[in-house]
Amino acid sequence: MKRHSLERPTLNPLMVGGLVVAMVGLLVDLRGMVSPTTAGGHHEACQGTVNSQVTLSREQLAQLLTVPERDSRDRVSQIAGAPYCQLQNIQVRAGVAAERQVYPLAFDPQTRLVILYEGNEYAGYRFSFQ
Amino acid sequence: MPAIASAFNRPWRTLWLGAMAIALLSTACSQAPTSVRTVPIQQSWELQLGSTVGKHRIAGGLGDISIEMKGDRVYIPFDGEVQANNVAGCYIYSTPDVPAYIFRLCGLKSGKTGRVRSGDTLGTADYLHFAALRRQPEGTWALVEPSKEMLERMISK
Repeated sequence: MKRHSLERPTLNPLMVGGLVVAMVGLLVDLRGMVSPTTAGGHHEACQGTVNSQVTLSREQLAQLLTVPERDSRDRVSQIAGAPYCQLQNIQVRAGVAAERQVYPLAFDPQTRLVILYEGNEYAGYRFSFQ
Repeated sequence: MPAIASAFNRPWRTLWLGAMAIALLSTACSQAPTSVRTVPIQQSWELQLGSTVGKHRIAGGLGDISIEMKGDRVYIPFDGEVQANNVAGCYIYSTPDVPAYIFRLCGLKSGKTGRVRSGDTLGTADYLHFAALRRQPEGTWALVEPSKEMLERMISK
C-alpha cells in the first residue's frame, strides 16, 4: 500500500482527452462571457425633463403587472404616477405614434421599467437592465 | 484497471470534476439566451410561413414585408436580444426599449443570436421578410403593419 502511494500517477488517454475537451469548452465559454455583446446593455438616453426623485416601489410594480395590455393609459398612470423621464417618441406600427416612459425601480435602481403607450392605450412594458 | 485507479487519484479527480462542473455550468448559462423561440401568432392562415406549396417552402406570408436587400446588411436599432425562431431560417429580435413588440426577420444568410447592441449587424440578406408582432392580452402575438421608421432603422445604420 505504501509503495503504491509513491508511484507516479499514470494518465489514462481517455481521461486526458476528456479533460482537454472540457477545458476547451470552458475557454470558449469564457471568451463569450467577457465579450461586450454579452455584457449588460446601456439604457437609451432620456429626452426632455428628468424627474430624478421618481422611482417605482414594489407595491406599484406589483399592481402594474396586473394591468392587461390594451387597457387604458389612465389606469397605468394612476398606479405609476409621473415618469422619471420619456424616451424619444417612435413609430413601431404604421400610423401610430408610440410614447415610452421610464420608471427606475426603487429597490433596484440599475433596473428600469419601460412602458409603451399608443395613444390612450397601454401597449405593454419591459424591464431594461444595465 | 490499476493504472486507471492510480491515475484517478485525489488531485486529478478533483481537477477533472471541477473542470467538468464549470464547463457544464457555463455551457448551460451561455445557451439560455440563444434558445429557439416559438411565437404563438394570433392570426391563423392556411398558408403559413415555413409551410410548403408543392415542393417549395413559403418564405414569406401575409403580414410580412419583403424587402429587396441585394446582399446588404440588416442592423440592430436598439440593444436587445436575437433568438432563433422555430420557423427555419427566421430570427426573433426583441428589445427592452420597445416594449410590447417583437420582430421576426426571415431570409438572412447568416444570423447572429444572443445579446446584441444598437448598430450591430444582424446579417445580410438578398430578400428580407420582416414582420412586427404586437403582444396581445391573452399572450399571443398579432402581426401588425410595421412603420417605415422601424424598417429604416433595421436596414440602415
